[in-house]
Amino acid sequence: MNPLDIFGKIIAISHSNLEIASRINAILNIIAQDMSLDEAIVYTLDADKRLTCRFKNDNSALFHLLNEYRSHIGEGIVGSVAQKRVAQSFTFRDIPPRLGCLFYPDLDGSIQKYKVFSFLPMSDDSYLYGVLFICSSGKERLNNSDKAFLSMVAREIGGILRSNQLIISSKKRISELATLSELGKILSSNAIPQDILNNIAFITAKALNASFVTIRLAHSFLKLDSQRFTYGDIESESEEEVKKLEEEVKKLGKTLSLRDLATEGYKNTMTTSLYTAPLTSRGHFLGTVTLGGSQTVSGPTVEENGRYLIETIANYISNGLENTLLTTKLKDVVKELNNAQKRLLEQETFRNLGEMTANIAHEIKNPLVIIGGFTKRLAKKVRLDHTENRYIEIILKEVARLESILNEVLNYVKESPMVVKECKIIEFIDELIYLFTSDRAWEKIEIIREYDNGISLVPCDDQQIKQVLINILMNAHDAIDGSGKITIQTGRKTINERPFATISISDTGGGIDPAIIDNIFNPFFTTKEGGTGLGLAISNKIVLNHGGHIQINNLMGKGATFIVYLPIKNNIIREELI
Amino acid sequence: MKKARLLVVDDEENIRFLFKEELEEEGYEVDAASNGLEALDKIKHAAFDLVILDIKMPGMNGIEALNEIKNMNKDLPVILCSAYGEFKQDFSSWASDGYVVKSADTNELKQTIKDILKIA
Repeated sequence: MNPLDIFGKIIAISHSNLEIASRINAILNIIAQDMSLDEAIVYTLDADKRLTCRFKNDNSALFHLLNEYRSHIGEGIVGSVAQKRVAQSFTFRDIPPRLGCLFYPDLDGSIQKYKVFSFLPMSDDSYLYGVLFICSSGKERLNNSDKAFLSMVAREIGGILRSNQLIISSKKRISELATLSELGKILSSNAIPQDILNNIAFITAKALNASFVTIRLAHSFLKLDSQRFTYGDIESESEEEVKKLEEEVKKLGKTLSLRDLATEGYKNTMTTSLYTAPLTSRGHFLGTVTLGGSQTVSGPTVEENGRYLIETIANYISNGLENTLLTTKLKDVVKELNNAQKRLLEQETFRNLGEMTANIAHEIKNPLVIIGGFTKRLAKKVRLDHTENRYIEIILKEVARLESILNEVLNYVKESPMVVKECKIIEFIDELIYLFTSDRAWEKIEIIREYDNGISLVPCDDQQIKQVLINILMNAHDAIDGSGKITIQTGRKTINERPFATISISDTGGGIDPAIIDNIFNPFFTTKEGGTGLGLAISNKIVLNHGGHIQINNLMGKGATFIVYLPIKNNIIREELI
Repeated sequence: MKKARLLVVDDEENIRFLFKEELEEEGYEVDAASNGLEALDKIKHAAFDLVILDIKMPGMNGIEALNEIKNMNKDLPVILCSAYGEFKQDFSSWASDGYVVKSADTNELKQTIKDILKIA
């Protein structure tokens, strides 16, 4: 056939839609037939830059043998052509003894039947894609036009390999971009941190074909229950390796694979591949992301480029985590701000209300003292009969009641500075109980004490906290109507890493009506006849001023528990634990 | 034994009257002043054993008067007696020797006076 026609056919095949192996094999068949070649074989480069026989003409006899050996660039004739990128032709007489890494004796002596050999590099200006190898037993020699033709064919096949590689790498690129865009979507979403991290693990595992992906956070900065987020199953034998790798990465601050840690002999027996990359933000170590792949027949599921991908993704996650961190912090701050604003508004309302109330209370107090004082004097001076004495008693009792209301009002509005010292709260609870139980109104009340003796010193204003406990105990007394059980417990609890001492007072008074529970701390709200509605408002304010809070556990039909939380210092707990 | 001399300082006439009656009955000699300045003037010209001082008064209030009195004679005992309970924890009231919340029941006041004058 006319060489031009053949080349036309080759180009047509080269540009067809057939898959790469069919195209190259077809081209090799055409040239083998046209040029009476026994072998037309294409070597390509593997990921580790070794030359391997990939494609062949149908009649090739050597392919299966050659295919078993891979050679480095520079090794044998094939390697040398790949290195120098210059075509070389030989006859049986002058061919060097090594084809690739293979010596001819290994070729079953069949080499002798070939008369000409040619090796052609398939490369463009920058990359080498492989080597075309032909040999013929029917041809005496290759003339210049044969060589020119072969070099054109080599260039054409090189072109097929190149575009194929471009397609593969762009597909990979696209899938990477898609992954990153998926990650971006997740990271910039408003989802809760747990979901974000679980989703990242999922997307990363899918994108990288990993058998598992696990993200481990170093600190509890996101205030999450768990520090590890995993997609897929970590085999039990890998667990230790993952932890070891995470520790190493934390120490060295760079991406590592299991291979980096393994001893030489162990490397070949590894059935899993692990890559761990650090997550860092502005020099702070936030945690690690680990990618796990398993060895399958067709090679590792996570290949050497896992390192590059995991690093890219780690960068992405780091940025995302920083955002999540900032968002979490922001949310906390906003919440804090809202609370502060609420408190401020409350205080403002109280202050206005308070000032007015204080003035009125003060103005009423003086006349009341005068009325009461002189009534007393009158009663002392004048001899009165029984009925008149009762009148006087009523006046004095009412004056005393008014006075006590005014005292409460005047106490509520005061902004007295706290006098905080380390107090033995158990001691003053006992003191209060002693005071109460010596009163007849408390005769029928059983008081149960359950103290955690580990809580000894609590920084507080003892007078104020006593006031709080008095108010709560009085309420408990009223709730059970003077007979029943009151349980007082002390303990400690950590909330958001801040330690608190707790004093809980439970009654068996049937609980608080849920309809009013929200109002319970509002000033001037009361359910008691003659109550001022200031007891719990004052108590709440005092505890808030201490940096604590009061929690109510209400069991309708059973009783209510008031728990006073007072902050304690970290070192107090530590000392007690020792 | 010579009667102890007390000075009651309150802007409310009837409070002064009430305290005077109650305390004279206890065997004290009682003088009264209606504000801080008048009280200081009296203290300058006569010897007292103890001063009972209201806080909220026009002109010079009780806390200011307390400081002035203590500047003049730091050994003269002063009891603050106010409708407010709040000043109890106010540092400025700490210079006083006692603090009593004003009440129709004068027993606490009487007891505090006794304690300070060390009368059994």
